[in-house]
Amino acid sequence: MTLFDPGLQPERTELAWRRTALAIGIGSLLAVRLLPAAMGSPWWALPGFAGILLTAALWLGARRRHRAVARALAVYGDRAALPGGALPAMLAALVTLIGAGAVATVVAHAVSATG
Amino acid sequence: MSARFPGFVYSQGGEPDARFTLANERTFLAWIRTSLAFIAAGIALELLGAELHAALRLAASLLLILVGTATPPLAWFGWAKTERALRRQEPLPAAPLGAVLALTASVAGALLVLAILLR
Repeated sequence: MTLFDPGLQPERTELAWRRTALAIGIGSLLAVRLLPAAMGSPWWALPGFAGILLTAALWLGARRRHRAVARALAVYGDRAALPGGALPAMLAALVTLIGAGAVATVVAHAVSATG
Repeated sequence: MSARFPGFVYSQGGEPDARFTLANERTFLAWIRTSLAFIAAGIALELLGAELHAALRLAASLLLILVGTATPPLAWFGWAKTERALRRQEPLPAAPLGAVLALTASVAGALLVLAILLR
């Protein structure tokens, strides 16, 4: 009945994790490029570098997660127990932190522009 | 597999078809990328939009960033509730997040148009 191809969905999911990592990566490279000039100090390159580290961690985490999924499916079939919500929760928390940093950056920039 | 996080999801029901779980995960990641796009748009507006009306540009920028910042937790809880519904074989929960983001984009766009007109 189910035309379930175990090789397809896990790969698509890993690619989704990679796309997410790349989105953070590109944003981080832009941050390294633009923030120091816009905010007037070379220390403002640090958030971008932190983002690049996060990108690498996510990329590796995606690989690890995919291997765990593939292993579970190979052993237990399509009703296997798959990885849970811990990594997604950490990602959500970090992106929220990025957003909070963005609010602070924008406010700091606006204040310094009018001041 | 040792106890998975969160308990309020994995203590319920049984394992769903892996396709649904993986699709749920990809949906969550799509919301995360959307949130990143909103945050990036907000920062770009503020850092690169110097020739626009300052207050309106700041309002649009903060609106985009704040909604973008609120999205990841909402997306994660949406993922969790969906996963629990899959495990209990119940109807999937509604997702108001899309409407909120669409409305935000419209309002931010309107503010931006005004910021351009009133520069």
